Amino acid sequence: MTKEELIIKLQVIVKPYIQDEEAFKNLTEETDFINDLKINSANLVDVVLDVEDEFNIEIDNDSMEKMLSVKAAIEIIEKKLSA
Amino acid sequence: MIGNDVVDLQLAKTQSNWQRKGFLEKQFTLEEQQAILNSKNPFLQVWLFWSMKEAAYKCYVQEHQKRFFAPKKFKCKILSNTEGIVQINSFIYNIKIILSDFYVHSLAVKNKNKKMVSALFFINKKSLQTKITNQYLLSYFSDEVRLHKNEVGVPFLYHQQKRLPFSISTSHHGDYGGFAFTLENEL
Repeated sequence: MTKEELIIKLQVIVKPYIQDEEAFKNLTEETDFINDLKINSANLVDVVLDVEDEFNIEIDNDSMEKMLSVKAAIEIIEKKLSA
Repeated sequence: MIGNDVVDLQLAKTQSNWQRKGFLEKQFTLEEQQAILNSKNPFLQVWLFWSMKEAAYKCYVQEHQKRFFAPKKFKCKILSNTEGIVQINSFIYNIKIILSDFYVHSLAVKNKNKKMVSALFFINKKSLQTKITNQYLLSYFSDEVRLHKNEVGVPFLYHQQKRLPFSISTSHHGDYGGFAFTLENEL
């Protein structure tokens, strides 16, 4: 899976939780889930669980700790997929 | 250091599904999960713990200037209807709990003898929650005082470019907003 494909899949996952449409439309690797997309911190766990389901991977606590941005999420998904 | 967190219980009902597979396991310690499942009102217990963790997290970030997502590391203990503690590693935060049928408001401080001001209020303008919450807090200070967040999201007050020596915290969720600030020099 290319990085672009990963970003598209992530976009679908985060869409139900975002509260800033503008930031969502302009989503890039640098986009922050909380600061930019204004995802409620209580919904971050939903993003993590949805990523696990979509990619059929398990995100351990240490990885989850870093999952605050598109870039971090992609790094974690790529690492788990290649493991 | 101070942190506060507001949960609008009505919104929490529709925004999150605490019964979703993995939801409790990822965010709550085994003891907390037990307390939730044994509670007469598991939904309320989930959001009480969550709010305590979030308030303590805000204190912790003020102190350590680093963001992360590890709710399970914040271990909650409820002492009474109005008090609790949250521990992360060797750090302990005292939590004041304000519970109603409509919201949970948690206030976290390191030293519970420190003087502070806090408030919880109803916000009826959906799109202006951040602005209104900040305005409530700023109304306690002179007109020239502004609020800015630093790169890790910690808010500070500034008066003519100079940072004021108080710890502050703001929070909003759904129809409710809240804030807290210390009255003594901290920074």
